Amino acid sequence: MKKGVEKRKRADKPKLLWLQSITCNGNTHSFLNHPDLFSILSRFELVHHPILDTTYTIEDLIAYRIPCDVLIVEGAYIQTGMAKGGVEVSSLIAHYGTSAKYIITAGTCATFGGIFKQKDPDRISGLAFDGEETTERYEDFRDKLVSLLGCPIHPKWLGYVLMMIADGREMPLDAMHRPQELYGITVHTGCSRNEYFEWKVDAKGFGVKEGCLFYELGCQGPYTHGSCNRILWNDISSKTVAGTPCFGCTEPDFPKTTLFESETRMGIPARMPLGVPRRAYLTATGVAKSFKIKRLEERVIDYDR
Amino acid sequence: MIVKKLVEKIEGEAELDFTFNKGSIEDVKIGFGFYRGIEEILVGKAPRDALVITPRVCGICNHAHLLAAVGAIEDGYRHAGIKVELSKKAQRIREFTLACELIQNHVKWLYFTILPTLEKLTGEESGENHMLKASYVASTMTKAMAIFSGQWPHSSYAVPGGVTCDPTYVDVMRATALVDETVRFFEQVMVGIPMDRYLQIDSVSSLYEVQGDIGRLLHLLGTYGMARKGRSHDRFIVFGEGLGFVSGKSIVTTVSGVDTRYIKEAIQEGTTAKAVTYKKRLYETGPLARGMVAKTPIFKSLHKRYKDGMLTRIFARLHEIGLLLEQSRRLLRKLDVSQPSCTLESRLMASSFEGVGVVEAARGSLIHKTRVQDRRISRYEIIVPTQWNLSHGNDRERGVAVEAMIGSMSIEEASFIFRSFDVCSVCTTQ
Repeated sequence: MKKGVEKRKRADKPKLLWLQSITCNGNTHSFLNHPDLFSILSRFELVHHPILDTTYTIEDLIAYRIPCDVLIVEGAYIQTGMAKGGVEVSSLIAHYGTSAKYIITAGTCATFGGIFKQKDPDRISGLAFDGEETTERYEDFRDKLVSLLGCPIHPKWLGYVLMMIADGREMPLDAMHRPQELYGITVHTGCSRNEYFEWKVDAKGFGVKEGCLFYELGCQGPYTHGSCNRILWNDISSKTVAGTPCFGCTEPDFPKTTLFESETRMGIPARMPLGVPRRAYLTATGVAKSFKIKRLEERVIDYDR
Repeated sequence: MIVKKLVEKIEGEAELDFTFNKGSIEDVKIGFGFYRGIEEILVGKAPRDALVITPRVCGICNHAHLLAAVGAIEDGYRHAGIKVELSKKAQRIREFTLACELIQNHVKWLYFTILPTLEKLTGEESGENHMLKASYVASTMTKAMAIFSGQWPHSSYAVPGGVTCDPTYVDVMRATALVDETVRFFEQVMVGIPMDRYLQIDSVSSLYEVQGDIGRLLHLLGTYGMARKGRSHDRFIVFGEGLGFVSGKSIVTTVSGVDTRYIKEAIQEGTTAKAVTYKKRLYETGPLARGMVAKTPIFKSLHKRYKDGMLTRIFARLHEIGLLLEQSRRLLRKLDVSQPSCTLESRLMASSFEGVGVVEAARGSLIHKTRVQDRRISRYEIIVPTQWNLSHGNDRERGVAVEAMIGSMSIEEASFIFRSFDVCSVCTTQ
């Protein structure tokens, strides 16, 4: 390709800036697992990124010299105290966020405050949300805001948003700016243990493929927004498939405590599956529990037979 | 004269203040960013919450944090009189998933950090897409791992008494195929020779057999006079075991035992990172330390020629890719899925205990200490590898990485030496 053509082509692409605030880099590393990483990135000009090769350096970033159309923010927000080369990240967000046409808060920290908020709940929050509440920055950014939840985000969730932007398509968002295609269902949807949930058969401890983790082992899948069991992790599995409870990492109140135990009231789960009235749940449970399904009480594979 | 340099595209960023004297570096101050306070966040939470919270210390070595956290709880349970005995299956699965994380880390370090920086430094740019290689290998290995751990990053699948997964042989075959795919990449692209031949390399004189990207890297280090640069205290420490690693400390080449009780942490001025010493002395931790303490023949030979210089340090990390791939295959071959995954009941727990968990993470020994009173964490301590390697030092001697950069004539070269330690600022500022 001739140099001039290449330059013009690059100029046509939206400029993508990945900016880190208070973070563990988990979203960065998660996205690197995307099997179509380079196809997606080929639709953008990556102007700055914490790891990947970029057109600009960190010196350019803190000198406000970078053009930006799509801003990805990773990590929780704080007004002062989180600086790069003496420049507050909050100032960088204000500057690049203003010129950007889209702002993607990538991860639960960037969106709601997440784990790092718990260190200093009064000063640390998400960019546009503080838990469920909106922050003073919400009004400035509401027209361009996309909330991506997860600790970390699934690579394909970010891939979806970037490709929708690149293709110029409309993304249906909910009231918290979450793409409905990704968060309109619960983690429970598609879980390999669903049959055990239906018949109220709980897992007999950790390390067995049989049984549902909702009743005893802390699983929050039935009331957590996310497509972890529809769009599998690392294209192969998920927490609940691997016998680990869902910890509700996409929710504004993540992380709660006693994460490996289910909270119950008089033997009934304290929180109902999303949108299910308690009475409906109790009725269905009563019916399911009045039958004993032998097959579901047994191991799937008998190695010692 | 002091020159400031912001080093980026490591795990986070670091600010280095170089003091020059007559053209050469005589001191370096290393500054890291925001202190996030994970240890404080854990206080008041349930003991097992650490299995979810501590992986969030670090996006690239989160799995090592999980294993250190579960190790600390199991150690505490044992002290409290609970019998904790893992099945061979659970042990092997844990080792396998750790090996996967180490391999993805080392491959990313090679292709994101070391090779591109060295190419820029020497002007020998290959024009190859190193990023593509890194993401291909890393996502292949993390997929192999997720078969057991459910996901990477940020899995919490290791619980007291074992693991939460219950794999079938279909799963094991899939994992084996993914490891085999990575072995092929290693043979064809990274070292250019078959694995069995690679593993026979035991001395500097047979190192020339290594070709591929690693061969080219070694060649560049030699040609541009970098091989002997970056020497430090020649003192190494390893606390973790498993995956062929041996615990102990090595001073020059004399190896002896270690005990985590002699580790001391100290607050440093001007940075949020705490320094750490063993009996008041500074030690290097990480792959080179693991090679020196285990007395691996190739490292004895490299050390004889290049001491603890750049060639030895850089090769040590890359050599682990081969060793760990071999270990991964062995672990999967021996896996018997009919054994129990978890031997402790989920409700069983001690109400008060203290425990220590130790794991060899990508960058070296990682230590978690938990103290639990009345079913709540009352104190949590995390000592990360980078604290050993990147501290400023104490009143007796300079920090390990600082010492390695002293005497360099340029900031570019010194930053390269700095990167040879595989810097992780997020862990350091946990």
